[in-house]
Amino acid sequence: MIVHVKNLVKRYRELLALDHLSFTVDDREVFGLLGPNGSGKTTAINCLLALLAYDKGEIKIFGRPMTPESYELKRQIGIVPQNVAVYNELTVYENIDYFCGLYVEDKKLRKEFVAEAIEFVGLNDFTDYYPKKLSGGLLRRLNIACGIAHKPKLIILDEPTVAVDPQSRNKILEGILELNRQGATIIYTSHYMEEVEQICSRIMIIDKGRAIATGTKEELKAMITLGEKITIESQYITETQLSELRALPNVISADYKNKQLIIKSGKGSNNLEIVLDAIKREKIQFGKIYSELPTLNDVFLEITGKQLRD
Amino acid sequence: MHIFVNRLKCLLREKENIFWTMAFPLILAIMFNLAFSNLNKGETFQTIELAVVNNADWQQESYLKTALEEASAGNTKLFNLTFTSQSEAENLLQQNAVDGYLEVTAKQLKLIVNDSGIKQSIIKSFLDSYLQTAATVNTILENKPQKPEQLLHSTGERRQYVREVSGTAAEPNSILNYFYSLIAMACFFGGFLGLNEITRIEANLSPLAARINIAPVHKLKAFFSSFSASLLLHLAEMFILLLFLRYVLKIDFGPKSFYVVLTTIVGSITGLSFGAFISVLVKKAENMKIAILVAATMTGSFLAGMMYAEMKYLVAKHLPLLAYLNPLNLLTDAYYSLYYYDTLTRYLQNLGILISFALLFCLGTYFMIRRRKYASL
Repeated sequence: MIVHVKNLVKRYRELLALDHLSFTVDDREVFGLLGPNGSGKTTAINCLLALLAYDKGEIKIFGRPMTPESYELKRQIGIVPQNVAVYNELTVYENIDYFCGLYVEDKKLRKEFVAEAIEFVGLNDFTDYYPKKLSGGLLRRLNIACGIAHKPKLIILDEPTVAVDPQSRNKILEGILELNRQGATIIYTSHYMEEVEQICSRIMIIDKGRAIATGTKEELKAMITLGEKITIESQYITETQLSELRALPNVISADYKNKQLIIKSGKGSNNLEIVLDAIKREKIQFGKIYSELPTLNDVFLEITGKQLRD
Repeated sequence: MHIFVNRLKCLLREKENIFWTMAFPLILAIMFNLAFSNLNKGETFQTIELAVVNNADWQQESYLKTALEEASAGNTKLFNLTFTSQSEAENLLQQNAVDGYLEVTAKQLKLIVNDSGIKQSIIKSFLDSYLQTAATVNTILENKPQKPEQLLHSTGERRQYVREVSGTAAEPNSILNYFYSLIAMACFFGGFLGLNEITRIEANLSPLAARINIAPVHKLKAFFSSFSASLLLHLAEMFILLLFLRYVLKIDFGPKSFYVVLTTIVGSITGLSFGAFISVLVKKAENMKIAILVAATMTGSFLAGMMYAEMKYLVAKHLPLLAYLNPLNLLTDAYYSLYYYDTLTRYLQNLGILISFALLFCLGTYFMIRRRKYASL
């Protein structure tokens, strides 16, 4: 086990930021911390890194308690903070070299590591650029390079794709998976469920400082009753027709809003077929029809009663 | 060393900091020099240009001739004499080539001037003194003509009954105080650098600091490496300022160069640690901290006499405790003591209090940044 967090409690005066939060991260895992803004993800990370004092709980990394003086542990950790944290007065190369130098004293080795990090994030053409000259995406890549250049065993990425264009985001996500393939354990926090679904092997959904569900994405989706969400575009539906749809077998709900009929069905097969038969039978005029499997947002919605991005 | 070198690199590239800590004091020094150079000139005595109409009557005035010639000889001569005709003398006066001209006629001694300034007053005073002495001698000779040589000798004597004893070889110079307080201000502008160092090490103040706190480097070691880089840069800036003042603007620092350098080092450390102290003490946004630092420095400079030299003496007279509690005043006074006093008593007193301030700021900063975890970020 790489990370062990048990009953972590953190208060900001009256606000309970972390409420007996517990989780573990296994070796070579990509562990996702998913939750809306203000749910406690970054607070948990800061406690984990011994930056933030906490009221109660236990944190162990690589089997040892994590404290501000745990320099040997810190040496094996790489952090990519939520806000870009680089020196504007140093070039791309100098920044990566500087942060790598805080972990690696051997100059020759450091030079190799820096070159590899630059190659890894694809900043080869920008090594002499100052951060102010870089686009948002490139800046995020620099931020990542500064956190991973020393080849840490545990990499913590705190919302690394905020305000990044789709192309750079894909590049970053691919890079994270590559780091994992190379042997690093990853903790990835985000409020983008698609990203977490895409790269994380295990996910913990967090809200108001509490872990509300933990598991693989399949396990999380299995926790809820929703099996399928069918969206039908329709100009007009009567209340009687809507009642007929609600009465169908395995239908959890049927709502009509903004000329869209949304039918949520429970787990099981032939949900779409049953709904389409009923629409024909009720002679409901319709346009496009979409069928979606439940997302992590649905998991979050069903457990907390609110949207992940509320 | 890694942190020190990179921090130095950053500092050298931070144009805004370089401007405030080096360029601004240099610009201010040049402006002070331009403003005060005329005052200095005003205080320096310049030899008076005096024309004398070289007519027959003048040739008869042997005593006046002797008196004027004596006053026009040597390195500190009072007059530069030009012997010429009356019309030429008038001409020279109209062209302002002379400050006045002297014409001796059978009946009287005439001083012709165009203006009524200090030089004209000096000529008049000189002539009045001569006429008074001549009249005294004539009167005595008329009544008691026994020993004319002795009489002439005694009338030429000027006896002073009050003796001035100076504790210093230097002349009092209030203008120097402006420049010394400027150096003090420059020392305390190093506070910007100290303030920055705190922002870059306290994890609750910047993401960059949080990142450094996560690295396997002791926080205080990282701080002292960065602080040393700032101190080195600031000392270099201060020595550039000192050299500029000494060799370009010809500001007199007195003969004790070693102590001037020592004062500057202590001043620089005090300034930087003051900025760091303000930064850890004020739990506000960085702009607010900068505003407080600038306000404190400028107030200290004002009370030290940077904007009005008399202020320093007013504070010393009416609020002496404030004079000792103002590190900028202590620095200014330390420089002035080195210039003015032969002994080091007053200087060492200033330096001692200043070092105490530096220790206070350093220890205060140390105790506040040594915490290892933050309550909030």
